[in-house]
Amino acid sequence: MNKKTLAYHLKDIQHFYGNTKVLDIDDLKIQKGSITGLIGPNGSGKSTLLKLLAFAQKPTCGHILYNGQKEFPFSPTIRSKVTLLTQKPYLLKRNVFENIAYGLNIRKDKRHLKEKVKKALRTVGLNFEVFAHRKWHELSGGEAQRVAMAARLILKPEVLLLDEPIASVDTKSAKLIREASLKARDNWGATLVIASHDLQWLYSISDMQLSIFKGNIFSTGMENIITPPFEKYNKDLIAKKLTDGQIIKLKSPSPKTNTAIIRKKSISIDLETQKDLNILNQLHGHIASMLLEKKTGYIMSAISIHDMSFILRLTPDQISTLDLYPGKKVILKFQANDVEWI
Amino acid sequence: MDYIVAGFFKAFELLISGDNATWSAVWVTLKISTISMLLSIGAGLPCGFLIGYFDFKYKKHLRTLLDTMLALPTVFIGLAVYAFISHHGPLGELGLLFTLTGIAIGQTILAFPIVTAITASTIESIDDDLKLTLVSLGAGKRNILATCLWEVRYGILAAAVTAYGRVLTEVGISMMVGGNIKYHTRTITTAIALETNKGMFADGIALGLVLISIAFIVNLSLSFLRKQ
Repeated sequence: MNKKTLAYHLKDIQHFYGNTKVLDIDDLKIQKGSITGLIGPNGSGKSTLLKLLAFAQKPTCGHILYNGQKEFPFSPTIRSKVTLLTQKPYLLKRNVFENIAYGLNIRKDKRHLKEKVKKALRTVGLNFEVFAHRKWHELSGGEAQRVAMAARLILKPEVLLLDEPIASVDTKSAKLIREASLKARDNWGATLVIASHDLQWLYSISDMQLSIFKGNIFSTGMENIITPPFEKYNKDLIAKKLTDGQIIKLKSPSPKTNTAIIRKKSISIDLETQKDLNILNQLHGHIASMLLEKKTGYIMSAISIHDMSFILRLTPDQISTLDLYPGKKVILKFQANDVEWI
Repeated sequence: MDYIVAGFFKAFELLISGDNATWSAVWVTLKISTISMLLSIGAGLPCGFLIGYFDFKYKKHLRTLLDTMLALPTVFIGLAVYAFISHHGPLGELGLLFTLTGIAIGQTILAFPIVTAITASTIESIDDDLKLTLVSLGAGKRNILATCLWEVRYGILAAAVTAYGRVLTEVGISMMVGGNIKYHTRTITTAIALETNKGMFADGIALGLVLISIAFIVNLSLSFLRKQ
């Protein structure tokens, strides 16, 4: 990856809240003009990572290169190039016009302000005449989020970071926010990093998916996490017992690790069990959902094994050969040694 | 009961007729309470912001001290200021005893912890997302300070009004440091105390009404500002 094409390069990043490590990233590169999808459960470290990328916080250890330059202390210049939209937008106690114009006002850029505000509002589907003079408390949740989005878009940032931007808004607002964020990339080549639980959206627009769990980044996208409790199976293996009686057998963890990761690439899918004793895990389940990864043509398939869900990245050929479709019963196979512990 | 009713009529009579002694007390009260308010806001607002915004060692101890100072008796402040500015005190040479400046110093000491403590609490109550939002919109330190203060402007106004109410109605400092000198350092509250001692209830009630009216106007202005 050419250095000149990199927006971010994170090296040996560790971040702590008190004594708790919330982020641990050895090396992460994000290309200029790309769309990166950030996937992970609540509390996994997505918001912290976005705050670091927004230069709103300094990592406890390690450093962040932006456009190849080490950034610290954070100057207003760097902060003016990167902007973050959070899930719960904070609107200043002013009207919509003043909220959207705030960023330009502090940059003392007052040229064609009204026109720019009008355009930003239009981008998020709000009418200037109707909304410009509304107070912050006269907006619905979806409208407030769209105003917050417009306040970022008007700045034409080099990087637009979105933290669950559509998690608590109505369908119409979600659609408009999705479209507006893509315009940032298409119109002025902004780099986008989006954390969202809307996997369908992320897989359809992102160039790269990063999965994050317990502060660890998996650049291969979403991976399968198996959390405690585990039971001892024999001297080498431990077992995760599912409530339907199936058992997942895994190589015992090393000290201080208790969460298992099974990479997508380590799991195979089949329609029948095999009498091969070497394959320790043959789990019965059904396909819960299938998502097309537009950029690659792969199909992200969620397999439900009773009360657990596994993710697999299947080729169209596999789908066709096995005649897979949502609801179809399948068998997942992987070795006990295929586990990684964190 | 009659003397209370008579007091109301006397109040209007004194005010409408432009009684010199009454209007002098009103003017002195407004003048020194406004000066002491401006001084306490000038000092208390930045201190309150620093205490509320930043985390530092001994912050809790400082807050406890500030909260204790909220309950300082005005006579104690009066006594302390008197001790400093009396002829035998360390600042005796400045000749501040029985002057409006002396009262203003005492009232500033009274109002300062109120403005500081309420500002600090208001700043502490700021939504964490505000700072993140400002940073993400490219705000520098000055912008963050100015915008945070503007965002909590009603809380700060409330701090100012609370402090103003306290200095407007205090009697201990004005009496001890000002000396209740007619046409010079007599305030509404010291005048009320004096008139009541003399048995002139009507005059006392008249001045009390003026005091209540001022407090009413201040609060009315606050609600007007809130609506803007």
